[in-house]
Amino acid sequence: MTTYVYGIARRGHGRLPEQMGGIGDPPRPVRTVEQGDLVALVSDAPEGLRPKRRDLLAHQNVLAEAGAGGAVLPMRFGGVSADDEAVRAVLAEHEERYLERLEALDGKVEYNVKATHDEEAVLHQVLAENAELRALSDANRKAGGGSYEDKLRLGERIAAAVQQREVSDAALVESALDDSAEERSPGPQSTGWLANISYLVPRDATAEFVAAVDALRERAPHLVVQVHGPLPPYSFTG
Amino acid sequence: MTVVPAQQSGSGGGSSGLYDVLELVLDRGLVIDAFVRVSLVGIEILKIDIRVVVASVDTYLRFAEACNRLDLEAGPKRSPGLPDLVGEITESGARGKSKGALSGAAQTISEAFKEARSEGEESPRPRSRRTTTRRKEEQE
Repeated sequence: MTTYVYGIARRGHGRLPEQMGGIGDPPRPVRTVEQGDLVALVSDAPEGLRPKRRDLLAHQNVLAEAGAGGAVLPMRFGGVSADDEAVRAVLAEHEERYLERLEALDGKVEYNVKATHDEEAVLHQVLAENAELRALSDANRKAGGGSYEDKLRLGERIAAAVQQREVSDAALVESALDDSAEERSPGPQSTGWLANISYLVPRDATAEFVAAVDALRERAPHLVVQVHGPLPPYSFTG
Repeated sequence: MTVVPAQQSGSGGGSSGLYDVLELVLDRGLVIDAFVRVSLVGIEILKIDIRVVVASVDTYLRFAEACNRLDLEAGPKRSPGLPDLVGEITESGARGKSKGALSGAAQTISEAFKEARSEGEESPRPRSRRTTTRRKEEQE
């Protein structure tokens, strides 16, 4: 029977969610594997585990529940060990590093911030700032939209201007939130956001962080800013 | 038992719907080399649509059309710089009038039709995707 690992905590962790339902259908009960000063949160791994919605959610829920009681190093979804003994071996081998990370993450949570442009608002801005584009747009409008070539010419220049704003607005998001968090980690690339950033925030300072996001939204109404958190500190496991 | 702590403030907090944090669950988090990793084949369907501007003819045409439709005088999210802009547009509009009021009117009507049509086709884009329903699932 293979062992699925959700996360790693200190042995002294307040309350780990034992007997909570984990991955699989029916859900495999969550249990712990202890080694030295560490404890791994595990369950049996179901045969043919795939990244199905219910399993991803179970992984996330176990970590959220465990994280509410103390520091937990969250595993990426889908790590399966040969058996409990192999889990102990890994804990023993990396004990020092895991303890150091747990110390660093103690009392902290992750917030993920994603931003896109509100298209209409950003087009307003781009036109407001550039008289030449405004004149082109105006000419097209007067010509009933303009010819195919006219549209391409205008659209290409607008797209370039919006792309420039994507870069400067990404920097704006970073600078607006950096002071309210301890660490920043870029989110996974190529998922289509102008900014996708994870922040490590002390639990007792999350209200300030959320207030900083609100202030950013107010300051930059052309941005659509999403915040997700508090989350297990996936992006800060070192 | 609360799994996901409650949102701190009405507008600024965020829930953590699985879809929105999927990439973190699948792409971040501790990896242990000695463990076997579950195959992520097939997970591509869950990837988020590309939303940043991609330089392509489609994008150019879309932006040109959007500019054409843009109601510069009564946009729902007028940018702070807009009053200046409206002033200039009005000026150039006045100059344009010498070309003939008739064609101007015809154009306005055809634009109104176009706008009505496109509004009918496009479903409103959500301003943000804060999910509250899923949070309930995550709370017991």
